[in-house]
Amino acid sequence: MVRRVAEAARLSLTDEELERYEQQLKVILEAFRMLDEVDTEGVEPSFHPIELEDVLREDKASKWVWDPLANSMHKEDGYFRGPRIQ
Amino acid sequence: MSVLERAHRINHRYRAFNHVAEALEAEGGGRLAGVVVSVKDNVCVKGMPSTAGSKVLEGYMPPFDATVVAKCRLEGAAILGKTAQDEFGFGTFNVNTPYSVPLNPRDTERSPGGSSGGAAVVTAVADFPHLAIAESTGGSISCPASFCGVVGVTPTYGRTSRWGLIDYANSLDKIGCMGRTVRDAALLLSVISGPDRYDSTVLHAQVEDYVAQAGEPVEGLRVGVPREYFGEGVDQGVSDVVWGGVKRLEDQGAEVREVSLPFTRYSLSSYYIIAMAEASTNLAKYCGLRYGLHLPLEGSFDEYFSAVRSVGFGDEAKRRIILGTYARMAGYRDAYYLKALKVRTRVIEDFRRVYRDVDVLAAPSMPVVAPRFDEIAELEPIQHYMMDILTVAPNLAGVPMVSVPCGESDGMPVGLHVMADYLGEGDMIRAAAAVEAS
Amino acid sequence: MEATIGLEVHVRLRTESKLFCGCSTETVGAEPNMNTCPICLGYPGSKPKVNRKAVEHGVRVAKALNCGLAPMVRFSRKSYFYPDMPKNYQITQYEVPLAEGGYLSVNGRRIRIRRVHLEEDPARLVHVGGDITSSRYNLIDYNRSGVPLAEIVTEPDIGDTKEARLFLEKLGVMLDHLGVYDPHAEGTLRVDANVSVDGGSRVEVKNVTGFRNVEKALNFEVVRQRSMAGMGIEVSRETRHFDAETGSTSSLRRKEQEEDYGYIIEPDLVKINLRPEWVQEIVATMPELPDQRMTRLTKQYGISGFQAAVIVEAGLEMSLFYEECCRLHGDAETVANWLVTYLLKSLNYMGLSLRESGVKPETFVELLTLIDEGVISERTAKELIKDYAASGESPRRIVEEKGLALMGVDELRAVIGEVVSENPKAAEDYLGGTGKASEYLVGQVLRRVRARADPNTVRKIIMDMLESSGDMPR
Repeated sequence: MVRRVAEAARLSLTDEELERYEQQLKVILEAFRMLDEVDTEGVEPSFHPIELEDVLREDKASKWVWDPLANSMHKEDGYFRGPRIQ
Repeated sequence: MSVLERAHRINHRYRAFNHVAEALEAEGGGRLAGVVVSVKDNVCVKGMPSTAGSKVLEGYMPPFDATVVAKCRLEGAAILGKTAQDEFGFGTFNVNTPYSVPLNPRDTERSPGGSSGGAAVVTAVADFPHLAIAESTGGSISCPASFCGVVGVTPTYGRTSRWGLIDYANSLDKIGCMGRTVRDAALLLSVISGPDRYDSTVLHAQVEDYVAQAGEPVEGLRVGVPREYFGEGVDQGVSDVVWGGVKRLEDQGAEVREVSLPFTRYSLSSYYIIAMAEASTNLAKYCGLRYGLHLPLEGSFDEYFSAVRSVGFGDEAKRRIILGTYARMAGYRDAYYLKALKVRTRVIEDFRRVYRDVDVLAAPSMPVVAPRFDEIAELEPIQHYMMDILTVAPNLAGVPMVSVPCGESDGMPVGLHVMADYLGEGDMIRAAAAVEAS
Repeated sequence: MEATIGLEVHVRLRTESKLFCGCSTETVGAEPNMNTCPICLGYPGSKPKVNRKAVEHGVRVAKALNCGLAPMVRFSRKSYFYPDMPKNYQITQYEVPLAEGGYLSVNGRRIRIRRVHLEEDPARLVHVGGDITSSRYNLIDYNRSGVPLAEIVTEPDIGDTKEARLFLEKLGVMLDHLGVYDPHAEGTLRVDANVSVDGGSRVEVKNVTGFRNVEKALNFEVVRQRSMAGMGIEVSRETRHFDAETGSTSSLRRKEQEEDYGYIIEPDLVKINLRPEWVQEIVATMPELPDQRMTRLTKQYGISGFQAAVIVEAGLEMSLFYEECCRLHGDAETVANWLVTYLLKSLNYMGLSLRESGVKPETFVELLTLIDEGVISERTAKELIKDYAASGESPRRIVEEKGLALMGVDELRAVIGEVVSENPKAAEDYLGGTGKASEYLVGQVLRRVRARADPNTVRKIIMDMLESSGDMPR
């Protein structure tokens, strides 16, 4: 399981890490299963502690004056450089 | 010695900073005139490297101040530096970081607590006017405050703006503060609280004068002691000290009674699943393209991203990314992510119900005093998580809390946790100040 | 049916600012990465905030497509890694989309709309040293990142590639009329097409821009899948990329596992209630939809349903052009006739849009006035309209420069008189009963006067002249 999920999350793990995590995560997931004991029939999920709603922004353009490339080492002619697709 | 020189000395002895300011710059007067503010490294300060304790953000220079930092500056504070923390907030002992692992000033063989360890250390030893901006997701302010013997305030979720906070879990993160006294912490809380148009989850309620609440009498204040927060799993010495503090409140006229929060035992799992699910998405952006750690641009994007992330993240970060990704994958999402969100509702209901009968809750902040580093090294990850049992429930529910030093056990500080209802910061400050004064 | 086709249409919504930040959506001519801020660049510590107008546009689209609106909406995080993603998750709507269950009628058939939702656009990738599969590296421009998109997903109701194209064209006209999208700007409409043939596997062709390309891509796919099936080769379920240059689709190398998007509710945003009062306000300020406009044009201007349809389907600006011309000229039918039969034909032939051509209501009406006043013949006008459509130049000036004005009757008579006297045999033949002779004379006159006389007028004058000057009437 760990290898598959790690790959999805773009983490390349060493064999040592894979083995170690597999074991540690098994224990943790086992502990999480205690949630099965809780009766949540008809209970709504809480995405935030307090239900907030209707926060919207007016459609007005404004300019953020900054250098977007300042923190990047990979750039060219005002573009960011990115790795190839395949 | 100038303040900066003293800060460097603190850093030299206790390794509390990831970055000390090159110069102290303060403008104008205000409530924080003459005060320096240290900022946890996951809260952005323009022009200072903000790493959130992670190698993946090495050298990152934010182009803006977090709102809470801007508010401090407006009140005349100077920013002292960035304090050490567990990577992205992933930890209870501040050992999960490639940068400074701070030392507990009371006993440098022991942990200062985490994840806001550096903030607590500086607060404890600074011999100049200082306040600390810290942050809590599952207890990262209360824990180090308790372990280091300082005051740590975690406000109601949304009381402070998260604009500029490098996210761990967006529905759980709260920026809070630490001070040597309740009054000090209350002052900083007043400054950093309030609405902000950049944050959609911020609360618009009035910001009270929290400092004024410290020193108000606690006569008639209804204090609930949740039975689930004492007994098994909590060190006897810690329990006794905290009970002592509760008694002293009662002596001052507070009405103390036992209450119950039956879903407490499920809050740990619920918290970790939600936190890790959100965190795994928040950390996806770190891939060596726009900021932070870069590698030579080679290979396909899958290869490059994986290379950067494997080098940039520590063990605990990787574990949480994997767990969090798993918890929201098709097929597991209902059993983990959605289930945890429903259990969260139950935990919130616990608090709402209990606050009909009491004004504040009192319990130990942590089940133990600060452990030794060599003891910590023996622990399995699950055992690290279980240290949070007393802080995760209120953090999950988003209620405000303050850890106030209450005495000692085995020669180490013990914190008493006062928890209030939503926007009940006034009540909890009042109670905490009363504990402090007694 | 030829095939089973479903479309996912991504429409760039016309707002001033982006979906979650205040950066301008006007990216034409902007330097790369200059229309950005920490939010649309996914900087740590930044947080999104929802653009009200984008939600309103979304509601309009949903209503125009006859969908049921959700009472409240939430946003979700769709996680996947790609170089054009500033956060490696896209803020979209998964669990609680804006609207569901609508339809759009195409040629009397209803194509069902499964859902309409809002999401943010990723950045723009420039492939260096090759195309998507072969480039050495990429250049990334985040100006586009965060622009609001409406995603319109159909059920697999479309039966052939032509229907797909008709659907898209009709959808485009609709969205244009709603004012929520700019049909003239580049890349404002992108399509992911899902196609399967004869119950075979479903293939997805991603990111096709432009209606014609969608038709081409689908045609290629149908042929490809059909021929594979014919040879007994199984069509694999996959994602393919369309190359506009070669008109073919190719496979994008896929990982073993399907992408799992690991959706969670976006915890930096809160739920948005689509309150009835707000929805009513939005609906009340909705512009006229194409079908409504067609009906109104026939009623208000007395033109035929066919003409109204042609005008409306040519786009919003054509409708507005037509109505303005009617206002200036006064005779709605004449305007419609010349617009539909001649002007539009010229524009289409040259592949020009109204905007590109420079044609304006004032100058078109000028042309019609020239005909009304008898300054030029209808035949001249039909020729003239081609030059006019290409240049947008004032018809009066073209007539002057090219000497196309009809000459006065006296002058014409004089010319005809000359021609008749120069061709006595033809005149005789005519009087002798040969009808063709008159045509010969007409031809000779026209060669001399060219556009400056109307053939019928010439014919009439010749006949008068010959008969009155000749011997006996016939």
